[in-house]
Amino acid sequence: MVLVYSMVSFFNPYWMEKVIHPAAYNLFYLLSLGGTLGVFYSKDFLTLFIFWELVVWSSMFIIPLGKSRRATVVYYGISTIGSFAMLYALLLLNVKYGTFEISTVINKLSTDPKMATLFFFLIVMAGLTKLGIFPFYTWLPIAHGNAPHTFSPVLSGGLVKMGGFIAFLITAVLPTSKVFANHLQILNNPYENYILMILGAISIIIGTLMAIKQDDAKKLIAYSTVSNSGYILIGLAMVDQTAFAGGVMHVFNHAMASAAMFLAFAAIAYRTGTTKISELGGLIKRMPVTFTVYLIAIISLAGIPPMSGFASKWLIYQGLLRKGNMFIAFAAFFGSVGSFMYVFRPLAGAFLGQLSPKHKDIKEVPFWMQLPMLIISGLTILYGVYPGLMLKYIAKIQTSLNLPAIGVDGTKILTPNGMWDSWTVTLVFTIGFIIATILYFVLPKAKSVDLMDTYTSAEFIHNPDLYHYSSNYYAPFERLYKNHPSVEKFYDAIALRFKELGLLVKTWFFNENPAFTVFWISIVITAIFMWGDKI
Amino acid sequence: MINPVLLIAIPLLFAFLSVMFKKADKGLLVLAVLFNVLAAFLLKETEVVIGGWKPPFGINLIADQYSIFGLIILNTVFALSVFSSFSSVKKYSTVLLVSLAALNGMMLTGDLFNLFVFLEIASISAYILSTMTKKFKGTFNYIILGALGSNLYLLGIIILYSTVGTLNMADMASKIHLVNNNVLLLALTFIFAGFAVEAKLMPFNGWVKGVYGNANDLSGGIFASAYATAAIMMFGRIFTNIFVLDGTLKTIFLTITVLTFILGEIAAFSQKNIRSTLAFSSVGQAGLIATLFLSGLSGVAMMQVANHALAKLVMFTIAGAMYVYAGTDNIEKLQGLFKKHKLIGFGFSVAALSLVGLPIFYGFYVKIFALSNLFKINSYWIPALILFSSLIEGIYYIRMLAKLWNPGEEGKESKDEYTTKLSLENTFAYAVLAVVVGLFILYISYNPEFITQGISNYLSNIAGGM
Repeated sequence: MVLVYSMVSFFNPYWMEKVIHPAAYNLFYLLSLGGTLGVFYSKDFLTLFIFWELVVWSSMFIIPLGKSRRATVVYYGISTIGSFAMLYALLLLNVKYGTFEISTVINKLSTDPKMATLFFFLIVMAGLTKLGIFPFYTWLPIAHGNAPHTFSPVLSGGLVKMGGFIAFLITAVLPTSKVFANHLQILNNPYENYILMILGAISIIIGTLMAIKQDDAKKLIAYSTVSNSGYILIGLAMVDQTAFAGGVMHVFNHAMASAAMFLAFAAIAYRTGTTKISELGGLIKRMPVTFTVYLIAIISLAGIPPMSGFASKWLIYQGLLRKGNMFIAFAAFFGSVGSFMYVFRPLAGAFLGQLSPKHKDIKEVPFWMQLPMLIISGLTILYGVYPGLMLKYIAKIQTSLNLPAIGVDGTKILTPNGMWDSWTVTLVFTIGFIIATILYFVLPKAKSVDLMDTYTSAEFIHNPDLYHYSSNYYAPFERLYKNHPSVEKFYDAIALRFKELGLLVKTWFFNENPAFTVFWISIVITAIFMWGDKI
Repeated sequence: MINPVLLIAIPLLFAFLSVMFKKADKGLLVLAVLFNVLAAFLLKETEVVIGGWKPPFGINLIADQYSIFGLIILNTVFALSVFSSFSSVKKYSTVLLVSLAALNGMMLTGDLFNLFVFLEIASISAYILSTMTKKFKGTFNYIILGALGSNLYLLGIIILYSTVGTLNMADMASKIHLVNNNVLLLALTFIFAGFAVEAKLMPFNGWVKGVYGNANDLSGGIFASAYATAAIMMFGRIFTNIFVLDGTLKTIFLTITVLTFILGEIAAFSQKNIRSTLAFSSVGQAGLIATLFLSGLSGVAMMQVANHALAKLVMFTIAGAMYVYAGTDNIEKLQGLFKKHKLIGFGFSVAALSLVGLPIFYGFYVKIFALSNLFKINSYWIPALILFSSLIEGIYYIRMLAKLWNPGEEGKESKDEYTTKLSLENTFAYAVLAVVVGLFILYISYNPEFITQGISNYLSNIAGGM
């Protein structure tokens, strides 16, 4: 239970930021909050499942309040695939072992590797669907991108991380590295875990590539969630000293970063009414606090010291390199580089550059909306400078799971490959920042050019947005993978097939002409006579 | 102590009276319905011999826990349906009374031929009820298939009667092992086919879409909850108590019922109108309940009967009301309707979520029981398929709810200005119905013993009963 409590403590600060927006969704908001907490506190699988589904359906009523009704359906469909797989496994376990209690079930599973493999995959499905791992990631962009602005951070920061909890339960609490020790090993990992890592790697790559393409900031952040869920999953699936700690820590870091990013864009949408990057620009002058929050969040997300995101990503790389997982490591590094590209797009497009004329009069958001964003930023910096604060918790979790605990010494993180002193790095960065500030004040200032201050040969500018440099920001890069295959199309195709099958059923079996049914009745009766001879 | 005969006799008597006293027909309907609800709750386990001929020669009525459970649900949903859609009763009081008598008779009778008689009476009143919305094509379809089904059933029991020489259910059950296998196969097939028409099993149910899909608030509630309950409960009685199936025949019947719920849900998934979606969903649920009965899980099946009857009562009544007052039941045209009628929306949503089986609603309780018990009898495919169909079911109900609660075009914020101009009238009765049933579903999900008490009594007596 200690580990469950400590997991919760990661999420609690995040939940504190309930942004003021009077809306009818308070009931469901609180229900989903209660459900999420319930998931982490529950002692047996049935309670866990009940809270899990409670969260699903209560959040399901919030999402359609936003832009899309279809989003709810996609969200429900995908997360239910996962939760029903889990339910199937749980009930089967209950019938087999006669209990729902997590610890008992896990103990019994540990002695039964064959069953454990089956349940590993069935239960982890629930985690994968919630985390938004390939091939289940499609609900993230559509649900996050279209949910009410204040609920997107909850989805990304909170609900998605429930999936992390399930992945944590099934890879670590069920000691996979021991249970599957006799199974096929790929690069020192049991193949079950390796499959998860591959899925995580694919998610990193897909999430990154898709995020680079997005013009809507919320969709962009949603795809970045896909890619970061990949990191979390890889970290958790490694179940070792360093990468596992990194994965658990990344759960928290990404929750903070994506919540901060979503909140920043909720603030922008509150003032401007849009989240499309190409319609924004130059907001740094009007909304400096939001800008700062966003900046800190993306630094953490891209894994640049001294923010906390660096520590967790660094630990995951350490683990990957130590075990020699080049392919996965390649994906992880690719995602890291790509994340610079996609987090920079909203930064440059929405905050820097020229102010669009229609947003001339906007102001910073009210203080009560700034506060939660600032708290999150503060936590990001705090855990970046002192990652030990959190790693101590994680070390406790690891000890309780019989894993080698991560070594922490003050601000230093010790790993077999080397150590990392966040304090020194912070110091270096602070000095660099001070030098840059001095240079900024000492050197001559650049002339700031208005968006409309441009040369148009006396043509009237009808749509100033097109002149904004952030429209088609990464066009050349996007062209490289324009014709990518897409899982969305595949799912749409499946849904279409089902619809067609339904219509077929309707015309064949529910025809308005009763002769059809009479025909079927005679066919079935004949069939029963032919095959039903033994009673 | 109430004689179960009264449950059939009073509505029938009032039906005749309502022909004579045309002015008082609605009053008689209310009286009979109220009496039946009361009587169903007061009914004790008993067995009544009709006409002084002792069974197995005469006809007897059996009120065991099984039929009492069915009667309580049946009469309650019937009464709720009549009261909430009272304005749609119009000239149909007599028919409603006859159908009430026949449905009660179906539940109570202990005789296979008597069951046929009540089945016919119930079907005939159903044909008339289905003309309420003046869509005669569906009715025509129903008449042909219903007649075919009843005749197949009759053929089946004739075969059995000529071999065993009895029509009494208990007597039949004890003598069934004497029957030659081939004859039994023939008879069972006919009985199954005949009952499958009424119980809405694929592919015997071509009439469902025409009738359910064109129901109004009253007939929708009565068909989907009262008729469905009676038909599926009798299906359960015949195939769990009287004829116990095993071997290939059981596999074939199970295949049919499993295909019914999968294809039914898929067909519902492809629909755009609320009533036709609900119609196919009823088909799916009937298949599910029949599967549970055939797998030998009567208790779970009965719980699902209760869940389905309550949920479909609310949903069909509201969907029918949409058709009657708003003139359409197309989801796209009714976007945001529940914003105007929040209480109705509440009941509808609770019913839908309970039917899908999401936690904290009663349906989840049923689902857990169904799956666990299926695992216990070593069946691993059926639970997976049940979950699959329930996934599809969830998707289309969520799609429906999302649109009915949140108006707006795809890609734009949900706003009031997109709300449909259409609205319902007489909302008070529907709101009361929705809230009462909605709260009741919530209540039994916290206190499932309220319903399971009767079931467990029945199951503990099953060895001695029948």
